Amino acid sequence: MSKQSGWRQDAANHIIIFFHYMAQYIKTKMAYRADFFIYAFSDLLQQSVNLIFILVIFTKVPAIKGWTRDQILFIYGFFLIPFGLYSGFLNHLFDVPEKYVLEGELDRVLLRPLNAWFQVVVETMNPELLIGTVTGIVIMVYSGNAMGLVPTWWDFPLTLVLVVGATMIYAGVYTFLASLGFWTEGNMGLMPMVYNLSNYGRYPMTIYRGPVRFILTWVLPFAFVGFYPAAILMHRYEYIGYALLTPIIGIISFAFSYWVWVIGIRRYRGTGS
Amino acid sequence: MPDHDLPGRSRPVGFGNRFLLYLELVRMEFVNNLAYRSSYFTGIFNYTIQIGAYFFLWDAIYSGRRAIGGLNKEEMITYVIVAWVARSFYFSNLDRRVAVEIRDGKIALELIRPYSYQMVKYARASGEAFFRILFFAVPAGTVIYFIRPFGLPPDWQAGLLFLLAVIGGFVINSQISMIAGFCAFFTQSTSGIFRAKRVVMDLFSGLLLPISFYPGWARDIIKLFPFQTVSYMPNLIYLGKITGGAVLKVILLQLFWVAFLGLVSVLFWRFAVKHVVIQGG
Amino acid sequence: MALIEARGLTKEFRIFRRREGVMGAFRDLFQRDYTTLRAVDGIDFVVAEGEMVGYIGANGAGKSTTIKMLTGILVPTAGSVNVNGFIPYKEREKYTRGIGVVFGQRSQLWWDIAVIESFKLLRRIYNVSQEEFKARLKKFDDILEFGSFLHLPVRKLSLGQRMRCDLTAALLHNPAILFLDEPTIGLDVLGKAKIREFLKEINSESKTTVILTTHDLGDIEALCPRVAIIDKGKMLYDGSVDNLYAQWGHDKMEDIVKKIYEGCKPEQYCMIENWGDTHA
Repeated sequence: MSKQSGWRQDAANHIIIFFHYMAQYIKTKMAYRADFFIYAFSDLLQQSVNLIFILVIFTKVPAIKGWTRDQILFIYGFFLIPFGLYSGFLNHLFDVPEKYVLEGELDRVLLRPLNAWFQVVVETMNPELLIGTVTGIVIMVYSGNAMGLVPTWWDFPLTLVLVVGATMIYAGVYTFLASLGFWTEGNMGLMPMVYNLSNYGRYPMTIYRGPVRFILTWVLPFAFVGFYPAAILMHRYEYIGYALLTPIIGIISFAFSYWVWVIGIRRYRGTGS
Repeated sequence: MPDHDLPGRSRPVGFGNRFLLYLELVRMEFVNNLAYRSSYFTGIFNYTIQIGAYFFLWDAIYSGRRAIGGLNKEEMITYVIVAWVARSFYFSNLDRRVAVEIRDGKIALELIRPYSYQMVKYARASGEAFFRILFFAVPAGTVIYFIRPFGLPPDWQAGLLFLLAVIGGFVINSQISMIAGFCAFFTQSTSGIFRAKRVVMDLFSGLLLPISFYPGWARDIIKLFPFQTVSYMPNLIYLGKITGGAVLKVILLQLFWVAFLGLVSVLFWRFAVKHVVIQGG
Repeated sequence: MALIEARGLTKEFRIFRRREGVMGAFRDLFQRDYTTLRAVDGIDFVVAEGEMVGYIGANGAGKSTTIKMLTGILVPTAGSVNVNGFIPYKEREKYTRGIGVVFGQRSQLWWDIAVIESFKLLRRIYNVSQEEFKARLKKFDDILEFGSFLHLPVRKLSLGQRMRCDLTAALLHNPAILFLDEPTIGLDVLGKAKIREFLKEINSESKTTVILTTHDLGDIEALCPRVAIIDKGKMLYDGSVDNLYAQWGHDKMEDIVKKIYEGCKPEQYCMIENWGDTHA
């Protein structure tokens, strides 16, 4: 029986385990090769619908509220990057209320010497959906090119920071929703609603009216998973304030939600049966 | 001695009896769904959010423009809302249900029963659809109307014909779902097929975009398929863009597709049942 | 200090009642109507290292709740619990490295991957060295014989096969304590015999302490020198099995247990009270 001590070793331990789960996942999925590709392919199909929608609209109009086709595509491309990361790793947080809390799978998780949130994420990941991220990068590059966008040297680290920030927003929002499952018995059906709302971030905030825009910026900050970050990567620096808020909002969102999660677990162990 | 007095002989079931059976199934499915009515409550909110996104988008697209694709802004907003509200009723997951039964082997049980598997499935889908009209489509439409009033049919005739066309769309959509479900006889990876079917339906039924928006060459191809009769044509009837004799043509077109798809599904079924080893439970 | 020391262990649950109708649902939003259920009521439970203890009780008697408190899943409402030098619920991640748990109804293994891959993943999680891992696998294989289905995914295994794999998984990291929840449920005679043989072996050889929750009194008869009986949250008896036989004859365990449920209190011969004499 070996004992670990210190948070550094703890963190390192978790990272190593993450890669082992990944390796395990890939090994398993390779056994069902067809399913793996079909799942990824059908995700591509879904993205193609959104793409076709935009392309067809722009055969009829030259711009939407001043935004051209390539700009809208660029925003969509950026949107897909953190979205792919979310779909690949965090999508199944919505299993928590039903499967883990109600059906008690959380017991099994609590019996292992690893962080509970980490286990849930790592058990339910679908890394093949990272194809969304790849698609997003392709669309971004293509449309950036088409509009004659020349990236500066700081655009690259900036993109990384913005993507991480946006992904943390997803992590935060869905961890919070998953944690609600500790108080309500079973699903509330909130997640599909929030998911649909997240799609609003694919388009410029200028098309939304007051209260909706407010919600998307300060309540469920999906304005920051697509539009604002993409805007300054397009060098529309009038939005720089918002865009730089992205990582901060990401951190706040995830920190708050993780705190709610911890309280939720405490509740489960205090009153679970 | 008449046949039905001999013990052990199967009684021929009259058409009337068969019909009563299906009616009973419709009623049963309706009652079953009542148990889940609370989940429809959140479903309506969900729908409102989804439609909301399109509302803002189309509002922005039309800013300062008169008409696009033959529709002006008010017509377009109405189109979008009507299309989604109608979808809430004609939506079908027959494909998944059939696929699950095939995978589980339950289909073998169904073959022993003295009724048509497909008709039973359609009857149950109708029961559910009927429920969805009352508890989903109508409330959703009402809620949305209060948030943002949209256009109503020009006269009661258009309204009635619209309902007729939507029912036709429901039947065609269910048939397509059923046929997609049968693919489970031949492959394990049905989720890809179902996703593809959903994509095709979303794009070419007129739900996401009126077919008039597509370039000419695309429209010619779409014309060859039943998809646009599910949403696009009924919506145009609602808006009063298709009137008089043209409406009759739409209905006839739908009838044609119903018959055609019915034939396809019957043939598909016979073929599958004969040639595929059904996995026993 | 005993390996497991629980004193006055109590667990209360709040059972919420759902009010009827729409008005009821509305009121529920503001104030819930609940009753308090005392699932475990002031239990003392002390276990020394190397013991094999049977734990029986009717459904709903408080068995699983006790085990969940001992394994750190639940936090007790009152009382103290100390296992293997830890307070289980306080330092969950450290504490769980030293225990193994097997649920009869639910597998701890990953459903879709080969058993051996589950084992390998667990090896990583519990930080077991490669040599020790290989050695223990071989040792367990000798008794449990899982070699033939090691490369199958768990969902393809029969109940008996799955149970053997779950047991192995729980012991890969050489835990100090093994908690078993109905390990022989649904198994045939041969299956049960094999599991029991295995449990006897690891208890005697590795000195692994075993807490065995079961409905099958045959398990108790075959394996446990000591048995604890719980009913309605209270401990009815906690002592040696021989003592029960001595008082009521070596008949069927079943009849003895029935007697206890009906209220007959056997004279307690608590092994732990005399623990100090032999273990000072």
